[in-house]
Amino acid sequence: MAKSLLIISRQAPWSGPSAREALDIALAGGAFDLPLGMLFMDDGVFQLAAAQQPASLQLKDLAANLQALPMFGVEKLFVCAHSVAERGLDPASLSLPVEVLDDAALAALIGRYDQVVTL
Amino acid sequence: MNALTVGEHHIALDKDGFLLDLQDWSPAVAEALAEREGIALSPEHWEVLEVLRGFYQEYQLSPATRPLIKYTALKLGVEKGNSPHLNRLFNGTPAKLAAKLAGLPKPTNCI
Amino acid sequence: MTTLHVISHSPFGDNRLASCLRLLGTDDAILLCGDAVYALRAGTAPQQLLQTARLQHRLFALAEDAQARAIDSTLAEAVDYPAFVELSLRFDKVNSWL
Repeated sequence: MAKSLLIISRQAPWSGPSAREALDIALAGGAFDLPLGMLFMDDGVFQLAAAQQPASLQLKDLAANLQALPMFGVEKLFVCAHSVAERGLDPASLSLPVEVLDDAALAALIGRYDQVVTL
Repeated sequence: MNALTVGEHHIALDKDGFLLDLQDWSPAVAEALAEREGIALSPEHWEVLEVLRGFYQEYQLSPATRPLIKYTALKLGVEKGNSPHLNRLFNGTPAKLAAKLAGLPKPTNCI
Repeated sequence: MTTLHVISHSPFGDNRLASCLRLLGTDDAILLCGDAVYALRAGTAPQQLLQTARLQHRLFALAEDAQARAIDSTLAEAVDYPAFVELSLRFDKVNSWL
């Protein structure tokens, strides 16, 4: 049985490589059928904001790529309630079907996985 | 440099035979790329290439094998979206070869 | 399962430490290394945050990183590299806040 891995993505989408790296780990792991979860917290929740238009930045479209996670078998997607509220985002209008978790639930979530990495 | 001639057009390819400029793709280009691989494109091939182009349109990336199978099953049904069918059509390496013929970038998460 | 959270960024530059404290399980611990040891500076907001969290025997700092930065605090238990390794093994997993 492969070890389960939780990837915590906590950087904003368009300013540095962290958000892209977290997604690449998730897509690669999903392609190899690893039991994966992904948690968006802190500025990472901005990756899930609706109606982003990155074309003007001439970057690979991270927002579109994120939509592929369920196709790659990564369906356990979580978001930190505190981070979402703090940034004025509506949990109901995020761009992926995510489970919204409070702090206590986040601690329990991390406890359930064999391995955790935070990017 | 690796290149393909279709009619009067010279089309640049990378070392693995993928289009350097995705805008160069056309059905005629797909036919020419398939010929280099020893494949004559049938309607069964074409529907998968259309599915792949749809995948890229939606997600802006090329699928690995598992997502290709899943997405094809979603669009064409499980009798088309399965590993034996896709392997038979695309010489046993569907994610890589079908992406090439559909004019997509080389898949990165692929064995 | 227990987790050792390893933080190496300064708490004055970002919110890794604050976020980590929010999701810290009751049997989890934090190891501060690199610039993260600045969190132990007396009279600062991060140090207050750590004090309030009451992390007796669950807060560690890499001794040489603290010494290099003139941090001398009793709030965290000082560990050397062998003790760091021992800690990593004592917990079920290590979460590095990269």
